[in-house]
Amino acid sequence: MGRLRRTAAAGRPPDDGLTVTIQRGDPGARTGFRVATFTPMTVLDVLLAVQREHDPSIGFRFSCRVGMCGTCGVRVNGRSVLACQTPVPENGEPVAIAPMAGFPVVRDLIVDTTPFWDEWRRVTPYVVPAEDAAEPARIAPDSPERRAIDPSLDCVQCGVCFSSCGIAGGSRTFLGPAALNRALVLVNDSRDTATQERLDLVSGPDGVDRCHYIYGCSSACPKGLDPAASIRRLRRGR
Amino acid sequence: MPSDDAVHYEELTTDVAIVGAGGAGLMCALHCHAGAPGLDITVISKGAVGRSGCTRMVQGGYNAVIDPADSLDAHLVDTLRGGKYLNDQRLADALVRDAPKVIRELETTVGCFFDRRPDGAIKQKAFAGQSFDRTVHRGDLTGIEIMSRLRDQMFRIGARELEDVRALDLVFDAEGELAGMTCLEIATGRFILVRARVVVVATGGAATMYRIAAPAREKTGDGVAMCLRAGLPVRDMEMMQFHPTGLLAGASRMTGAVLEEGLRGAGAHLFNARGERFMASYDPERMERSTRDVVARASYTEITAGRGTEAGGVLIDISHLGAEAVERSFPGMVQRTRQIGQDLATGPVEVSPTAHFHMGGVVIDPHCRTAVDGLLVAGEDAGGVHGANRLGGNGVAESTVFGCRAGDTAASMAGGRGLRTPDPASVAASFARALAPLDGPGTESPFPLTRDLKDLMWADCGVVRDAKGLSEARTALAALGERARRLAVPGPAVFNPAWQEALDVRNQLIVARTIVESALLREETRGAHARSDFPDRRDDVWLRSIRLTSDGPDSDPRLWTVPVEFPLRGPDADAESGGAR
Repeated sequence: MGRLRRTAAAGRPPDDGLTVTIQRGDPGARTGFRVATFTPMTVLDVLLAVQREHDPSIGFRFSCRVGMCGTCGVRVNGRSVLACQTPVPENGEPVAIAPMAGFPVVRDLIVDTTPFWDEWRRVTPYVVPAEDAAEPARIAPDSPERRAIDPSLDCVQCGVCFSSCGIAGGSRTFLGPAALNRALVLVNDSRDTATQERLDLVSGPDGVDRCHYIYGCSSACPKGLDPAASIRRLRRGR
Repeated sequence: MPSDDAVHYEELTTDVAIVGAGGAGLMCALHCHAGAPGLDITVISKGAVGRSGCTRMVQGGYNAVIDPADSLDAHLVDTLRGGKYLNDQRLADALVRDAPKVIRELETTVGCFFDRRPDGAIKQKAFAGQSFDRTVHRGDLTGIEIMSRLRDQMFRIGARELEDVRALDLVFDAEGELAGMTCLEIATGRFILVRARVVVVATGGAATMYRIAAPAREKTGDGVAMCLRAGLPVRDMEMMQFHPTGLLAGASRMTGAVLEEGLRGAGAHLFNARGERFMASYDPERMERSTRDVVARASYTEITAGRGTEAGGVLIDISHLGAEAVERSFPGMVQRTRQIGQDLATGPVEVSPTAHFHMGGVVIDPHCRTAVDGLLVAGEDAGGVHGANRLGGNGVAESTVFGCRAGDTAASMAGGRGLRTPDPASVAASFARALAPLDGPGTESPFPLTRDLKDLMWADCGVVRDAKGLSEARTALAALGERARRLAVPGPAVFNPAWQEALDVRNQLIVARTIVESALLREETRGAHARSDFPDRRDDVWLRSIRLTSDGPDSDPRLWTVPVEFPLRGPDADAESGGAR
């Protein structure tokens, strides 16, 4: 008791650095960097190292650095991720960081996530309560309602699923994985009174039938959620 | 660089301008809208609305009396005892009374869903320093639920959102009446003058100025610094809380992130590197469930006495509850430790005290009013609710309760307050000050300056302080202030993090000075303020709140003390020693 153990990842010996390429907006801006590694080290740490040691003008976004705010989404070697939740590769292979796909680029790695939020808003993402709801509802944790909802909670609206979806991130209008996941939660929430409106929306032309089950969303979600499963359940339940 | 009078800006007029989009800011917007639906509300946020700041980062939960076996009086007594009786009792009373109402509102109106007991009623769990298990939560990542639902509510009420917009300075008219504030749109580099009938400041604290710190990036004391520049009095600035269990992850930015209080509530043990459960020497009765100030100081003492780990920490261990139970109750915390190559479910994890929360802040009344007509302050930017130490679970309660109160006040106040015309010279001066570092002639990069400030505050104004260190900190801060005058950053005005860091560190320096000056004056140990040269709590002298005001960034602050009033409960009943040994 009281003795610290470390797993292999934390015991990795320091090496002589990591090669990083960063997609930049300005044509003349420097894109290649080499940073010293340490353990543990995330892609967010890499970006901070580049900013502090090489180029203070590099544009990227983050806030909480522990996977709660959902604002540090980038593409790392082609995959959309949260920078703070992504460890640097252990084998020392180069890291290529680019802005998330499917969104207009504001500057360097910063994207405009308005397309994500536009879809999110369309599902009426807030509970529409009954007029007389004054006390918290009594709902048992093992009720069918909660069993249907609980696996779909803790979405941080990072847009990584949207960016990883061939349809939402593409040119067709599609509510997308996160908004549909939110719709599933609310459709099952007995406190909500807008169930039919949401079911109509998700059954409509921009809804669940747009999904081709490529599972880009579920394999990319940094919170381990399964939006594709939510879409499937919405399809069955409509 | 353009000359001062050439700075171009746009003007925006609104009824109520809210700075900050965390728990306090968004609850304020909701209540303001509910109280006066016709009002034009503008939410100004340096980061993403609802997804920056620290309410989002709340893990453990929210203290509220909702069980018939609990009582408001018990919550009040816990809060005052925890605060070592430095609290403004009217504010603590408002917190305790409103918290159950706001929990109901979060559930029934905002749409949050908190964890339930088997019978379907809201579940409450154990936190440290409380006589009843009253902490409402959603798993161990409660803030995501609260802030995501509040973010969604903004779509319902349709408030104007100025996202990625930094508030710079409060501005006044020729008569000295509040007229609004100057802002900088980070995404474009464009300056905005916001004219408003009522301004609400709710930006959050400044704990990021410490080397090991828990908060989100945005929390750089902007609100308090803005109020200080406008001449408002602040209180209890020496009271900076260190959470006892911050993650140690080496050079990674993850260092300082909190492992939640519920671990200690659920029975986690703390060990030094020798395997001794050291809390037995500091608080044998409450052990690890002692309040944050006591546990953080104990850990710090162990570490500085050479009984810490190689990386400068102690060990938290909850694995004796069984891996499955730990994974079920604390999935977010387990994941966080596995990410750094440790595992909370199966063994001890290295932790250190981490700068977490500022109890000090702007002086307010229970309606969030300040010394300036039309200016309200809510949440961590305000002082007095928690006294000398905040209980875990009272933070998100404060931000939402006082956010609601500020919104109610703003709704009733806005109609009676006309729009004022800001003094053009001070508007221009504010913009010029903000613009100065951008491609400026100076030689100081903001990043080393921030790092030096963090090291200085950690070493000389941290968990345990003394006159020598604080005096050195005073001198060193003056030198950092000199360097801040020479700040320069390259690059475009558009979304330039280095420029923003320069503006952040300026604010941090203003707040840091108030912490050091107040800490020098308080020659005793109380709550979060521990003096090794004055290790005892001195109720005979120091049941007093330190107030501070400043005429400007370059003038020396003026300090005075005010006796604490005890309208509800006196401190004699349960005096305890400060314990800075």
